[in-house]
Amino acid sequence: MTSVTSRRAFLQRASLLSLAGAAAPWALNLAAMGEAAAATAADYKALVCVFLYGGNDYGNTLIPYDSTRYGLYQGMRPTLAYARSALTPTLLTPNVALAGGVQYALAPELSPLLPLFNSNHLAVMLNVGTLMQPTTKAQYTAKSVPLPPKLFSHNDQQSVWQSSSPEGAASGWGGRMGDLFQAGNGNATFTCVNVSGNAVYLSGNSAVQYQVTSSGPVALNGIKNPLFGSAACSAALRTLVTAPSAHLFESEYARVMLRSLSAGDALGAALTGGQTINTVFPTGNSLADQLKLVARMISTASDVGAKRQVFFVSMGGFDNHDGLATIHPGLLTSVANAMQAFYSATVELGVANQITSFTASDFGRTLTANDGSDHGWGSMHFMLGGAVNGGRFYGSPPVVANDGPDDVGQGRLLPSTSVDQYAATLGKWFGISDADLLTVLPNLSNWNASQRTLGFV
Amino acid sequence: MAIEVTTPVALEEGTPTQVGELAGLASWIAIPGIATALSACGGGGDSGGSGATPIPSQTLPLTPPTTAQAARFLAQSSMGASRAQIDRVVSLGYAAWLDEQLALPLSATRWDWLVSQGYADISHKNDESGFDAAAWLKLLNAPDTLRQRVTLALSEIFVAAIDGLVGAGWRQFAAASYLDLLEANAFGNHRSLLQQISLSAPMGQFLTYRGSAKADPISGALPDENYARESMQLFTIGLLQLNADGTPQLAAGKTIDTYGLSDITGLARVFTGWDFDLAGQTGAAATATPNFLRRPMVQVASRYETGAKTFLGTTIAAGTAATAGLTQALDTIFAHPNVAPFFCRQLIQRLVTSNPSPAYVARLAAVFNNDGTGVKGNLRAVVRALLLDSEARSDPVAASTSFGKLREPMLRFTAWARAYGATSPSGAWAVGNTSDPGTRLGQSPLRSPTVFNFFRPGYVPPNSALGNAALQAPEFQIANESSVIGYLNFMQRAVAGNVGDLTPDYSGLLALADNASALVSEINLVLAANQLSAATAAALSTAVQSMAGGTDASRRNRIYAALLLVLAAPEFIVQK
Repeated sequence: MTSVTSRRAFLQRASLLSLAGAAAPWALNLAAMGEAAAATAADYKALVCVFLYGGNDYGNTLIPYDSTRYGLYQGMRPTLAYARSALTPTLLTPNVALAGGVQYALAPELSPLLPLFNSNHLAVMLNVGTLMQPTTKAQYTAKSVPLPPKLFSHNDQQSVWQSSSPEGAASGWGGRMGDLFQAGNGNATFTCVNVSGNAVYLSGNSAVQYQVTSSGPVALNGIKNPLFGSAACSAALRTLVTAPSAHLFESEYARVMLRSLSAGDALGAALTGGQTINTVFPTGNSLADQLKLVARMISTASDVGAKRQVFFVSMGGFDNHDGLATIHPGLLTSVANAMQAFYSATVELGVANQITSFTASDFGRTLTANDGSDHGWGSMHFMLGGAVNGGRFYGSPPVVANDGPDDVGQGRLLPSTSVDQYAATLGKWFGISDADLLTVLPNLSNWNASQRTLGFV
Repeated sequence: MAIEVTTPVALEEGTPTQVGELAGLASWIAIPGIATALSACGGGGDSGGSGATPIPSQTLPLTPPTTAQAARFLAQSSMGASRAQIDRVVSLGYAAWLDEQLALPLSATRWDWLVSQGYADISHKNDESGFDAAAWLKLLNAPDTLRQRVTLALSEIFVAAIDGLVGAGWRQFAAASYLDLLEANAFGNHRSLLQQISLSAPMGQFLTYRGSAKADPISGALPDENYARESMQLFTIGLLQLNADGTPQLAAGKTIDTYGLSDITGLARVFTGWDFDLAGQTGAAATATPNFLRRPMVQVASRYETGAKTFLGTTIAAGTAATAGLTQALDTIFAHPNVAPFFCRQLIQRLVTSNPSPAYVARLAAVFNNDGTGVKGNLRAVVRALLLDSEARSDPVAASTSFGKLREPMLRFTAWARAYGATSPSGAWAVGNTSDPGTRLGQSPLRSPTVFNFFRPGYVPPNSALGNAALQAPEFQIANESSVIGYLNFMQRAVAGNVGDLTPDYSGLLALADNASALVSEINLVLAANQLSAATAAALSTAVQSMAGGTDASRRNRIYAALLLVLAAPEFIVQK
């Protein structure tokens, strides 16, 4: 980082902020921005959150394979269970075997990820979910410790996963990580990039998520070309859409528009001149489209002066109350193909060790099933990248049961690992100090220092 | 069905109205007949009362509305203003215009239009063609513009989406059936609407309780919880106990949950056994026509949970028949004091402003709880009171820097189309799916990504002055760097007649087009209720005046440019 780029970045942000006009509230954010400009980086790293909206069914994602536990699984969801023989090709053989003969297989549709597990680039996180503090089943039942608010509710648990607070949260941990690094990025706008819409995950205390389509930034036709033949009207349009206003809604809209126009020019130019990516991404796969854009942005990171970036991509459709056996396999196929292609692209770009992607979702689901499964809590997730200590399981395998020691009924898992620990591990790799992690993840201090990170990357 | 209010109604006598709190409203009067008949409190029955007794208020101005006031009213109460509608409001006044709209008959259903266009042919069983056109033609062209606006609002509260209407084909008909149901009940009763939604085949599909079966003691499987959960969280009572003014009740400084997991599993038992009414047919013949999608679902006794069902402090006794159990369950939910403020606040947000005052919510909730004749849930009365409320109608309130709402993209598009009477000469209404945020509106009728709608009622843009001012701004959830541009690129095509075969009638503007100032002024009135500032209007006029004029072709270019500029102005995009 040079002082020139830093100063330019600061001025760019200051000008964006001042557009809002209302001076007093913004002073708070400017102050926060100054405080947050703590971490610096010479190298490049990116985190990529792959969010599976709707609550992924863990039971048919990572399936108990050893005969005892497979039998319990099959007994609890006879209408949904994979045949054991269908799982043999995707049986995971970890570097460190799980105790008690516990074995897992990937859903057959995740087979594109199997070579990545075997080459130690993919790791599996067992039973991770939202928690306020370490929680036992007895504590859950007695409600003797604080529990995550609004358990089992989609919008709230999405928000808790992403931000540690229910719907209405102002910032998420991806954004708060961005806060720490955006001063070191030449163009702060590209610190937190969302290719799938809007997620609190990427909002920081000062960092603002930049939302871009899978095709890249969208140009405003009325400015790119004279508006109905009139350059004067194009000029008037540009002034109009970014004009300050005392009305708070108008001001906010103009702020989005200004960010779009300024960032779009910079990113559009960078992407146009960017490196060609030869890795073949699957077509007809929205997640793959998004991840391809992420790969393209990574390939041009140096052109926009980015040192640390947090990306968010997502896929919907995981709320499989019904028809799970027919719908869910197709979703997993899309996820596996997209993530596999993305990893290959990072290899092609020579940055595989600098990019870590990971899955997240609203919650896990019940293990008992009707034609689908219902909202649950803890779940299984994947971490992928050259820096990941893969070929391993992290966390504890939950007992397969209906109201057993590790579930709160119907196989709704009580998480044994918290999202905060999962996030802290990623953050530490990203270059965040132990002290700053406690700020980024407000519940992390409820775990012993030795347990706050998990070492999977 | 008439719904009797079963809780005692406390009458407030001779109370001053909200008018007193609003500066500069000397020309407003109360309508006594309504103000005295309403209950003071939604019956929360506990301490939650912050002392702010809701004061019913129906106020009307003594003088006829101006054209600008009429245009502003129409932005709240219709699919978009037009010169003709503005004149109608000025001529009738607000209340009589509403009464005229409330009395309009239903126009032809989307379902019947689909049939008339041949979409009931078996070749369309496995596609969804025709749906977007059926939805858009109503929004763009149906005469009952108030009912269309309320229907659209209901479709964003009682959300279903065509992508989830799966399992039996004919998705266009399932979606049409659902919108037709909402429309038929838009001025009906909320309780009846709940009953019909709960038995509707499309909702059974969307929230997956069609086919849900009773508990299986062997596998441990329980009934599908989807509808039990989302119908309470999103359609009726929400997650938190509310005061009658929509603010959360607090106990020891903390909010209070309305229900827990056991209430969900209890209520889920009610929604078992329901399935399509196939009229006794089986096999392919049963779904060879889409008619089963507009028949209420029926029971499959073998799948119905006959045991007791306990939720929200009520138990439906074991052995209660399925329909009686469902009715009892919905009665229980409808009796919850949250229903009125929960629904009314969201309806205000959809029509008028993102941040209604608690007093406004309370006044409307009081009308919801008792329409003046003892009926609870009268949506006609609620819609009327909502739009005539002093907070909706007051110019001084509208002048606040925090009043109003971001117009959702669909409404910006319909505002243009309605203003200039856009029609589809071919009758195809081929607007299509407008969901793509990069190239179209980022929003399309009945195409929310999930049951959580396109945006959440409590959404606050992070890191914003709005957030610092503790303001909610739901529509900003879909306003991002891509969609703000995609909308304008789409409208640039639309105003020039390049969306489907939508053909606007610019005859009224052509006469003004050589005078850019007059042209912009007219568009400012009809589209933006004169809310573009004088400086903005002058800047746009100057730019448009620099364009060639004098021929119809050049005048059209001026009109296109002027329209696009007004449609791009934050002063239009924010409805105040």
